[in-house]
Amino acid sequence: MLNAVVIFLMVSGFMLFFATTVGLLRFPDFYTRVHAAGKGDTLSTALLLAGLIIYYLQDFSGEALLTAVKLSLIVFFVFLASPTATHAIIDAGYEAKVPYWTKRKPSADGEPYPGPERRREDRQI
Amino acid sequence: MKRLTLVILAICALIMLAAAVDLPNWADPSSPASTHLSPDFLEQGYGETATPNIVTVVLADYRSYDTMFEAVVVFAAALIVLVVLRRTPRQRSKMVQHRPVREGRDTVLRGAAQLIIPVMQIFALYVVGHGHYSPGGGFQGGVIFGASFILLALCYNLQFTIDRFKEQAVLFCVAGGVLLYAGVGAICLAMGWNFLGYAGLAGILGVSEVMARSHGILLVEVGVGITVFSVMMSLYYDLASGGDLDEGL
Repeated sequence: MLNAVVIFLMVSGFMLFFATTVGLLRFPDFYTRVHAAGKGDTLSTALLLAGLIIYYLQDFSGEALLTAVKLSLIVFFVFLASPTATHAIIDAGYEAKVPYWTKRKPSADGEPYPGPERRREDRQI
Repeated sequence: MKRLTLVILAICALIMLAAAVDLPNWADPSSPASTHLSPDFLEQGYGETATPNIVTVVLADYRSYDTMFEAVVVFAAALIVLVVLRRTPRQRSKMVQHRPVREGRDTVLRGAAQLIIPVMQIFALYVVGHGHYSPGGGFQGGVIFGASFILLALCYNLQFTIDRFKEQAVLFCVAGGVLLYAGVGAICLAMGWNFLGYAGLAGILGVSEVMARSHGILLVEVGVGITVFSVMMSLYYDLASGGDLDEGL
């Protein structure tokens, strides 16, 4: 019975990984690609490792519990670090004025950054 | 010229291939390394040093001379980057600076850094201290420890980190780690043993010679860790700011 849960979690994790890869390759610009990588990567890693945790805890022992705790620590830190890294990369791209994709073609007179230039006021501590 | 290079390369490759015939096969149990040295290490390592992780024993005890100069190589890398990049304020005015200036500190990054960095540093100390029993040791632990400070510099900014860990202190650690390593060896020498023969520490630490070798391994691993983490910080300080240490990433 629990095996079905494990299989479901791991298969959905793999499917999300696949979607991440497709998104990384197929999306049109920098921001959407990083978005796909950041979102899918985090959730699919969490799903895969959740499946592994349940698998390990099927025959309960101290050693299995230790492994499960270590795996859940990995989940916790991936959950913390991966979206933060995505945020930092996108922020750096925005500051460097990486052009983003629009449905309209960019105007011919060399305006690479179609959006209004926004400045942050809350940068100072 | 390209053809000549190709011919020379082909000749060298042929010589190497011809010489490789004489090498023992992969994982050959009757090769010289597997018949004399490895069994000796595996059978006597624990008895001689009371350290279960044989990799650590070979790295920091049987071949500690080699490892000491690995630490010296890392030390030399930091010195060379200092010599090439570091500028004093007087020299700075001659050069035009162009680099990204990030004065801002992002709330998201700041929060994540506050959660991750303490855990990283504790884990780094664990990796250094647990090298006797599990994979790890000075190099790995030092890298994690240095990476935690680089993460601090990335998530806040360079000046924030330099205010907390001054360049002088970093350079003191760069030299101090190598000095600790070589100093342990010199103390052994002074006690009448070979250089880096940790059994010579037995009298000072008040333990048996076997345990002294275990403690000696820990001491030199700590020295390596100090050097590696401070070299990483020194390299980052200089590379991120172009040698000025005033601003940067």
